[in-house]
Amino acid sequence: MDVRLPRLGEGADSGTVSTIFVKEGDTVKKDQSVLELESEKAVASIPSPVSGTISKIYVKDGDEIKVGTLIFSVAEGEASQSRDVQLNVPAHESTEPESPAEEPVAVAEESVPAMMPMMMEEPVKSASGFPPPASPSIRKMARDIGLDLSRIRGSGNGGRIVLTDVRAYIQRLQTLGTQPKAAAPAATTPKPAPVSIDFSKWGSVEKKKMTQLRKAISNKMTESWTSIPHITQFDNVDITDVLALRKKFQKAYERKKANLTLTPFIMKAVVETLKKHPIFNASMDEATEQIVYKNYYNLGIAVDTEQGLIVPVIRDVDKKSMLELSIELQDIAERTRQRKVSLEEMQGGTFTISNQGGIGGAHFTPIINKPEVAILGVGRGSLQAVVKDKKIQQRMIVPLGLSYDHRVIDGANAARFITDFVQAMQDFSEKQVKI
Amino acid sequence: MKSTKTDIVVIGSGPGGHAAAFYAADRGKKVIMVEKDDVLGGVCLNVGCIPSKAYLHAAKLIQEAQESDFRGISFNKAKLDLNKMRAWKNSVVGKLTGGIATLAKSRGVEVMYGRGYFEDSKTLRVETKQGQKFVTYDKAIIATGSHPAMPPAFDLGNKRIMTSTEALEVEEVPKNLLVVGGGYIGMELSTVYATLGSSIVLVEALDQILTGADPDLIRPVIKKAEKAFKEIRLKAKVLKMATYKKQIRVQMEYNGKEMEELYDRVLVSVGRVPNSSDLGLENTRVQKDEKGFVRVNDKLQTDDPMIYAIGDIAGGVLLAHKASKEARIAVDAILGENVTKKEIIVPAVVFTDPEVAWAGLTEGEAKQRGIKVEISKFPWSASGRAVTFDRTDGLTKLVVEPETERLLGVGMVGAHAGELIAEGVVAIEMGATVRDLAETIHAHPTLSETVMEAAHAFYGDATNLYTPKKRH
Repeated sequence: MDVRLPRLGEGADSGTVSTIFVKEGDTVKKDQSVLELESEKAVASIPSPVSGTISKIYVKDGDEIKVGTLIFSVAEGEASQSRDVQLNVPAHESTEPESPAEEPVAVAEESVPAMMPMMMEEPVKSASGFPPPASPSIRKMARDIGLDLSRIRGSGNGGRIVLTDVRAYIQRLQTLGTQPKAAAPAATTPKPAPVSIDFSKWGSVEKKKMTQLRKAISNKMTESWTSIPHITQFDNVDITDVLALRKKFQKAYERKKANLTLTPFIMKAVVETLKKHPIFNASMDEATEQIVYKNYYNLGIAVDTEQGLIVPVIRDVDKKSMLELSIELQDIAERTRQRKVSLEEMQGGTFTISNQGGIGGAHFTPIINKPEVAILGVGRGSLQAVVKDKKIQQRMIVPLGLSYDHRVIDGANAARFITDFVQAMQDFSEKQVKI
Repeated sequence: MKSTKTDIVVIGSGPGGHAAAFYAADRGKKVIMVEKDDVLGGVCLNVGCIPSKAYLHAAKLIQEAQESDFRGISFNKAKLDLNKMRAWKNSVVGKLTGGIATLAKSRGVEVMYGRGYFEDSKTLRVETKQGQKFVTYDKAIIATGSHPAMPPAFDLGNKRIMTSTEALEVEEVPKNLLVVGGGYIGMELSTVYATLGSSIVLVEALDQILTGADPDLIRPVIKKAEKAFKEIRLKAKVLKMATYKKQIRVQMEYNGKEMEELYDRVLVSVGRVPNSSDLGLENTRVQKDEKGFVRVNDKLQTDDPMIYAIGDIAGGVLLAHKASKEARIAVDAILGENVTKKEIIVPAVVFTDPEVAWAGLTEGEAKQRGIKVEISKFPWSASGRAVTFDRTDGLTKLVVEPETERLLGVGMVGAHAGELIAEGVVAIEMGATVRDLAETIHAHPTLSETVMEAAHAFYGDATNLYTPKKRH
């Protein structure tokens, strides 16, 4: 039988798994402690309701679980068949008195949300790398309806997936689909199997496998683009004075083996602007419905590599000098192009800059690097005739596009942000550049 | 140019071709099956699996009779009438090939005898005895199979140098027979000829016969063959052959020495070559690999969307049952079903004495791919059934995923291993665990008990085998 977390007491409807006393295959006696749960109030021990063999443990140390979460299965005495007491199974297959057939929907609604994240988050891969155990007919059915079997926990011996597991899984998906609150996990609903188009029908083609990086970019972009309502605010910035500063100090930087480019200027100006508009340096925690403001300024820098886009992160930009930033930028860009940048170096960003100035093009609408909430796209500068101080002057003008997450940032915020950023660039102080 | 229009044309009528044609017809398609020979059935029925099994059965009768003295039964030396034996073999083949023709007729599958040649992606020209016929189709399935390889250096046009095709006619029992190649074909035919009375020297270029099988499964075969054959030479290389009177003079390199010997006949069994030339594939978009196998995707579709390929011609393991399975996958794919040839378990059976069979992951493959597995073995010396007919030279073994106890592979050697492997295939396909096998009754006294006992041995509690306690 499957054992779910029971209600432990007033207010204690969730907790963290602190110790698991048994492992799969162990025999337990009725009322023997199987695991300990730490809640805000106390440490509670969860006993096995029957004597038998632990056939499966679904949680691990540190897991946050709620009332109704499936925690382990125990095979009673000789009977090894697993029965799921709270699942919405058709009445004729249900043998458990605890599962009243006349109100299956109510049971499902109560138990489903609690177990959803755990049941569906990650596809499980077997240690030997083989696809999940299931009979040919089950595998065929899964292919036909586009189900990824590795996301389904089988109830049979060795995790074998049987028809009732598939049925229960689909029912869970359906319940989830009809629940308005379950917006976030819905993203993990398996998509129907993509259809391959035969382009060779219309002419000669060449096929190349997508690289891991390309697949990662594809997933990330789709995730960001489909889950965030994007708006892009355009503006232009006059960088004539910044270029003058750059020219003035370039030699000095070179003597320190640093190359002073436009990017550190943009980074410094971005951080200055972020400090005035902390919402642009925040993230939205969809699970807890909180906005998380960060007191650090880690800027992602989009780097164009041969294999595709990679965004390493430069940390604590506010605490670093222009010289330090120049050196670090050069180093990380080089290592990124060589694909030697570590995973940690790509995490923890608070805002991203995508500078295409070196390549060309004007305004563009960058996609936000989730979980960040905004990204600045910088185009190629061009000399333009501008009226300044009542005279027509030749100035270097750079196009800007600021994409932001309209769930947390409003249009007025964005207009203020970009105005302040333009100001910060145009009033860039020499003191900051000087070594 | 008048042409016949059909839904599906299948080229070849072997285990792939006729399975595809019949299944497509059963699913309501209009089907034409094209066969280049005068009889249906392809290599398997005419010059492969079936006749070789017939001769192996004959060999087994002879051998068991010869070895029954100690049981208190004595026979005179077997007298062979090769013509009668061949006629019997031909009647076995005839029953089956005739059966295919009858089944084709009752299903309304039109059979066209003649070589098929692609004019373009939508038209097949068939060279029948009545002249050219043209078939236009929605989809074509190529199932033209393969033929025995004959390296040019050995190809003297001398009938004493045989491939499996000629060897299965058994025109005579040569006194001295050289078998080049220790794969399953070389081993099976050596067994036949050795029992009929030939003195066999078998040479293999690699350091093991029957590559692909785990060494512990081959050991009983080698032991038996060492007795039945004159010699097995591993890592040996045939350099040259020449006609010398009524014999073949063979030069070979073995143990660092060159030697020259005379043989009455030579069997060359060094592999098989796909029948992919002379099909007009260059008039389609079908692509071949460097060995001539037709390139296909998981649905057996070639680079030409109109054309599918199955069986030997599509590469992979060259086994009849693989072709028959691919036949169904290809037809299902044509019918628009979501199918794939990935994840299929293709059992391998070698009809040596004793038989070797395996399915799924082998121990060797697990090692090579770095997959952590646990192995459980049950020797047939502990099987009551094996003792009753004096064939205890067998072994059943299970390859298991340790965390889940899921069965990933089954291997066996021993009498009737080819029949016994079926249980292993079903178990692996069903995602069964060792516990499932252990809990299932296997009738006594049968060889199938060895599967259950191997499962019990995994837990250290096989009834008829003492193993140090492992788990519980």
